Amino acid sequence: MTSELIYICAGSGLVGLAFYRLATCRDMLLRVLSLNVLAVGIAILFLASARDAGMTDAVPQAFVLTGIVVLVAVTAALLALAEQIDRQRDE
Amino acid sequence: MSLAFDVLLAFGVVFTAAAALGTHDRVASIAGFVVTGLLVALSLVRLGAPDVALAEAAIGAGLTGALLLRSAWRLKPAESRVSPPIDRIIVALIAVCLSGALAWAVYTAPGAALYPALVSERLAESGVTNPVTAVLLNFRAWDTLLEIAVLFVALILVRIVAPAHPQPVVLGELMLPFARIVVPMCAFLAGHLLWQGASVPGGAFQAGAILAGGSLVLMLGGFAVPTPRLLSWGMMVALLGLAVFAVAALSTEALTGTLLLYPDGAAKIWILMIEALLTLSIAAMLCLLFCGMPRRPLK
Repeated sequence: MTSELIYICAGSGLVGLAFYRLATCRDMLLRVLSLNVLAVGIAILFLASARDAGMTDAVPQAFVLTGIVVLVAVTAALLALAEQIDRQRDE
Repeated sequence: MSLAFDVLLAFGVVFTAAAALGTHDRVASIAGFVVTGLLVALSLVRLGAPDVALAEAAIGAGLTGALLLRSAWRLKPAESRVSPPIDRIIVALIAVCLSGALAWAVYTAPGAALYPALVSERLAESGVTNPVTAVLLNFRAWDTLLEIAVLFVALILVRIVAPAHPQPVVLGELMLPFARIVVPMCAFLAGHLLWQGASVPGGAFQAGAILAGGSLVLMLGGFAVPTPRLLSWGMMVALLGLAVFAVAALSTEALTGTLLLYPDGAAKIWILMIEALLTLSIAAMLCLLFCGMPRRPLK
C-alpha cells in the first residue's frame, strides 16, 4: 500500500503543478503542455487507485490507454487552433 | 530496496515536471516534458500497467513531444506579462489544496474492485489472454470504436483550420544511417507489439504509435516527401480503420444480434483483423496530425 501512496502523491503533485501553470501562464504552447501534464497526473492517480493486492485492474488500464490516445488528438487539435489564432493576430 | 526506487522515481517525476513547467525556454520545457513522460512510463510499469506504460512512452512522451516541438517553432511566444505576486500566491495555495485534497480522496476512497473478477471470469471467451486487450477490443470495443472516431474528428479539425506546411529541412549526413536502423526497427517492433498484444502487453495503439514514429523519420528525413497525393493516400488509410471497425460492428450486429459481440469461437480472428487495420489507421492518423494536410491539391 505504501508504494501506491508514493505514486498517489506524485500524481496529485503533477496535477497541482499543472494547475498552477495553467492559471499563471499566458503562453499557448505552455498551456497545452500543462494540460498534458495534468492528464498524466490524473492517469497516475487512476492507476495507483486501481491497484488491489498486487494486481492492477484491467478496466482502468483500458480507460487510461484510451485517454492517452484521445489526449494526443486533443493536443494536435489545440495546437492547430493556436497556430490559427497566431496567424489571425498577424493579419 | 524497491521502496527506495519508488520514492526516487516519484520524486524524479515531480521534479522533472516542475522543471519543465518552471522554465520559460520552450525547447527546455518540451525536453523536460518528454523526460517526465518517460519517467511516468517507468512508474506505470511499477504500478503494474505495462500496456499503458508502452502507450505513454510512445504517444505521451514521443509523439506529443514531437507535436509540441513542431508548434514551438510556429507559435510566437506570448508577451511575457508576469502575473502580480499576490495572484501567484493565491493560485499556488489553491494548487496545493487541490493536490492535497486529491491525494487524500484517492487514498481514502473505499476500494471495492468490481471489475477484476468479471474480467477474469470471461477472459476465456474473449479470444485473447491479455486482459487489457480483451477489455479494449471485446468487452468495451464500443469505447475503442468511438475513440477512433475522436481521432478522426481531430484529424478533420486539423485539416480545416491548418493548411499544410510540411516543409522538411535538409538534415545532416547522419540522417541516412539513423533512418536505416530506426525505420526497419520501427516496422519490426510495431508488428511484434501488434502480434504479442493478444497475450502479453502490447496492442494496436502502441504498434500504431511506433509505426507513426517510423514514418515521421521518413518524412522529416526527406526520404518520403509529403506530397498531396501521399497525404490523400494517408487520409484514405486513416479512414480505412474507422470504416472497417464500423463495418465489423454492424456485421456482428447482423450475425449475433448484439453490437460488437463476436461470433462464438471466432473472437480471436475478428480481434486480430480489426487490430491489424487499426494499427495502420492509427499510424496514418498520428502521422497526419503531425504533418497536416493541404486543403486542396497544390497545382
